[in-house]
Amino acid sequence: MSLPSDFFGRMVFILQNYGPSFLAGAGKTMAIAIVGTLIGCVIGFAVGIIQTTPESKQDNLFKKILIKGIKFILNVYVEVFRGTPMMVQAMFIFYGSSALFGINMSIVFASYFIVSINTGAYMAETVRGGILSIDPGQTEGAKAIGMTHYQTMLNVIMPQALRNIMPQIGNNLIINIKDTCVLSVIGVVELFYATKGVAGAYYTYFEAFTITMIIYFVLTFTCSRILRHWEKKMDGPDSYDLATTDTLAYTSGMVKFPDPKEKEDK
Amino acid sequence: MAESNVLKIRHLSKTFGTNVVLRDIDFNVNAKDVTCIIGASGSGKSTLLRCINLLETPTTGEILYHDVDITDRKMNVPEYRTRVGMVFQNFNLFNNMTVLENCMVGQVKVLKKDKEEARKKAMMFLEKVGMAPYINAKPRQLSGGQKQRVAIARALAMEPEILLFDEPTSALDPQMVGEVLAVMRTLAKEGLTMIIVTHEMAFARDVSNHVVYMAGGVIEEEGAPADIFGNPQKNSTKEFLTRFMQG
Repeated sequence: MSLPSDFFGRMVFILQNYGPSFLAGAGKTMAIAIVGTLIGCVIGFAVGIIQTTPESKQDNLFKKILIKGIKFILNVYVEVFRGTPMMVQAMFIFYGSSALFGINMSIVFASYFIVSINTGAYMAETVRGGILSIDPGQTEGAKAIGMTHYQTMLNVIMPQALRNIMPQIGNNLIINIKDTCVLSVIGVVELFYATKGVAGAYYTYFEAFTITMIIYFVLTFTCSRILRHWEKKMDGPDSYDLATTDTLAYTSGMVKFPDPKEKEDK
Repeated sequence: MAESNVLKIRHLSKTFGTNVVLRDIDFNVNAKDVTCIIGASGSGKSTLLRCINLLETPTTGEILYHDVDITDRKMNVPEYRTRVGMVFQNFNLFNNMTVLENCMVGQVKVLKKDKEEARKKAMMFLEKVGMAPYINAKPRQLSGGQKQRVAIARALAMEPEILLFDEPTSALDPQMVGEVLAVMRTLAKEGLTMIIVTHEMAFARDVSNHVVYMAGGVIEEEGAPADIFGNPQKNSTKEFLTRFMQG
């Protein structure tokens, strides 16, 4: 096998010979990014909800101390994982877990784990912000019809908060797609690691990374469009139909008047 | 007579930090009473109403609902609130739900009714406030007066014994005020027990059977509307009313 002499020729050559490597790498990148974002969201929601739980005067002392303790631990978690680089966390957790606790994580499990808790720390703050951004009147309205704090969160606050933080969830997914490349330090064969291997085989760094640039962009752009579409869907229709046959009600609202021509035809 | 006192407020005080908002409030509400609380802004009217629904915790004093003190720590507050509903100045409709869902969610999630029953009840009250055609609309698609009528329907759908109104018309233009007050008049006629904080003096005079005038966190004067509006005993009441009735 000999390398073509022109740039595009070499790109085609790489794709023909190493296409499956790129695909496998991209697949692993997407798997880690999506799973990490989803689990991170779950962690973020749990932490965010606990952190915004109001103190109730009815609680006894033990419960108060317990809640305070949990809140403190969660705060430490958020600050530590937001305040350190994911690459360092990856090394720390992957090698630390076997050195300190004798746990031998598989590389793949470690990468899901690291991206999840990292995203969780960011999402916790996002969810907290999302909850705080909802008008307190919504909570009061819910309380006034007898809802408990839990019912209020589930039925009124979270659906609205979720809509408000959708752009941020999308942002996190895109960041995760790109940032999984730092996990190559613990040897996960995601897109970046795969590309390095391909590029090294024939010293075709520029060609290989051109392909990888394009793949990363296609992945992130597709995801951002899909999420944008979801957001629109969550907003629901802009107009509504009046649920009546009473013609007087047609004077307001956005419903079509009956077409007079149709009657004439009969 | 003690039995007909649905609500008894005894020596109620509320302070925010060092700021005393309510001082030693005492008054009774009988079944089917329409009580209007009037007074200048900042006189503690809204705080009093919010204390009755425990959205604010009273600092001292008792609120007796059917002779049970609701400020007691063991009180099941959410359950109490299903029986004492509230309508807010800013409507506070749930933005993520349609008009119909707003009126159903409390019945389904709190009262645990089945959906079909809740839907029927919601429709009944939405028809009463003239909002039945708008069941599919979201709150953001409605005018202020429409929102407030839906909010009233939402509160009524819980079938409360008492309904509290916190300046229900203060955020509305004059035409919308008219539509909301019309609904409230109907409810008064039907014998719903209502406590209304309002600046609508004509409404207080014509519709209520008990008027409480508050100033500086205390009840200055209370009595039948004819007495308060026709023959106020205190100078402060007189001054307040002349200023309002002129406008």
